[in-house]
Amino acid sequence: MKDRVAVVGVGFSTVARDTGLTYKQLTAQAITAALADAGMAPTDVDGVCALAFGQPELTGESPDSALSAQSVAQMMGITPVNWFTPAPTNFGDNANAAIAAVKAGFCHTAVVVHTGRTVIRKPDAGGPPRPTYVAAGDMQFSTPFGIPAGPGMIGGLTMTRHMQLYGTTEEHFAQQQVTSRYHASLNDNALLRDPITIDDYLSSRWISRPCRLLDCDYPCDVSSAVIFTTEERAASWRQKPVFVEAAAMASTHVSWEYIANILEGSPKVCADMLWSRTDLRPSDVDCAQLYDGFSAIAFNWLEALGFCELGEAGPFIAEGNTRLGGSLPVNTDGGVCNVGRRHGGSHLIEAVQQLRGQSGVRQVPNAEVAVYTVAHGPHCHAGLLTAA
Amino acid sequence: MSQQPSPPAAPTVPPLPFPDALSKFFWDATKEHRLEILRCQSCGLYLHPPRPVCRACLSTDVAPEEVSGRATLYTWTIVEQAFGAYYATQVPYVYATVELVEQADLRLVTNIVDVPFDELRAGMDLVVTFADMSPDLTLPRFRPA
Repeated sequence: MKDRVAVVGVGFSTVARDTGLTYKQLTAQAITAALADAGMAPTDVDGVCALAFGQPELTGESPDSALSAQSVAQMMGITPVNWFTPAPTNFGDNANAAIAAVKAGFCHTAVVVHTGRTVIRKPDAGGPPRPTYVAAGDMQFSTPFGIPAGPGMIGGLTMTRHMQLYGTTEEHFAQQQVTSRYHASLNDNALLRDPITIDDYLSSRWISRPCRLLDCDYPCDVSSAVIFTTEERAASWRQKPVFVEAAAMASTHVSWEYIANILEGSPKVCADMLWSRTDLRPSDVDCAQLYDGFSAIAFNWLEALGFCELGEAGPFIAEGNTRLGGSLPVNTDGGVCNVGRRHGGSHLIEAVQQLRGQSGVRQVPNAEVAVYTVAHGPHCHAGLLTAA
Repeated sequence: MSQQPSPPAAPTVPPLPFPDALSKFFWDATKEHRLEILRCQSCGLYLHPPRPVCRACLSTDVAPEEVSGRATLYTWTIVEQAFGAYYATQVPYVYATVELVEQADLRLVTNIVDVPFDELRAGMDLVVTFADMSPDLTLPRFRPA
């Protein structure tokens, strides 16, 4: 028996633009769902990694103070706790930390949870003020020149250079988003399900050119949870285990504005490391859940992982390769542009469900190998999962 | 009838930078219409954003040096949606990253001015132009050379 780490439980909370739920409530829903999926009790878990992201609670509590790994453990009755940690930024951080902890023997079973409430809400009267953009630290060299926010800093800067260097067109980005929305139309859990056309994309308003509203992920309230355990214990639980064949992460800078090559950057470093840790190759992958916080991110990952040549993601997508039924279905749940902003949780969960054969009408036939990726630009994560 | 309070006037100055001990030189220089970048005095590497140690040689002997102000355009976005009250009066505007000619990968965030949006090209030659926004703030922007 190999000593791989396995995924044995996945779950997420109610998802909506505004659930009216707190960080703790959303988190409890997601972990309860993941435990039920696995057939576990909280006391079967002995490690926790938690991350909260987004707006302060209405009581003024920040996401960080609303949710820590320790508070999650206490709230859910997870005991003993042999490993706990916060995660820095996204589900990729969560997952990689847990994989490492289980591998190292800090704990045998870790639950990772990411909870976000990311719709920008007006502050309630008497409530905490909305966070303002403070031009301190490195931000002093950006904010006085503009606040493009994520759509500009990540989407716009990346899309512009991809178009300038490789001749990628707006229609290429449109095709990516049309394909994702088609997949979402097959997903009962997606928030945006009405199919869109190229024209719909081209008429959607600019946020920060060339990034449009339809290039962006959909803010919402959601918590996603995944349970990792050892290969030895994996067969004890309700679901067919899915194995972590390889995992990687990379950091090349602190912000998109300063990375040396915005079109390769950390995804290339991360992907190279991922492939170095397995005998599997891009041609072995049956489906790819590629982070699409902004549409261009998936382009970078297609190229970085070697599914197509550098600069060729546009034509690769336009030829239909990434659509269900094509050579490499991508974001088969619709991606975060349509299921809601989950910072990688949904990408990992969809990869797992495809490999379990649980994706229903979206099922990629005989899916045995899946890749998931989180973030891009200055730092990112990737994992390769197998069904056996 | 009581008077309705007038809404706050839109800011006329961008968000001000908060200089720290390491970055104060940058903003002092811009007020004098000079562009200065922190440079390792041991190996010559330019460091931006400023850092207290050189990542190439670990020297802590870092000091500001004036640069030519010439750069090439790396990438940009044309911000259409305003985040923040000041930017409601500015959109659409160009938010760009430029590469200073002194060193490969030496990037500055800036605005590109004096050029129609559809004439922007990756790699185009630029030169710094200083915009006095207020007595407290001069911004180093770039225009076609």
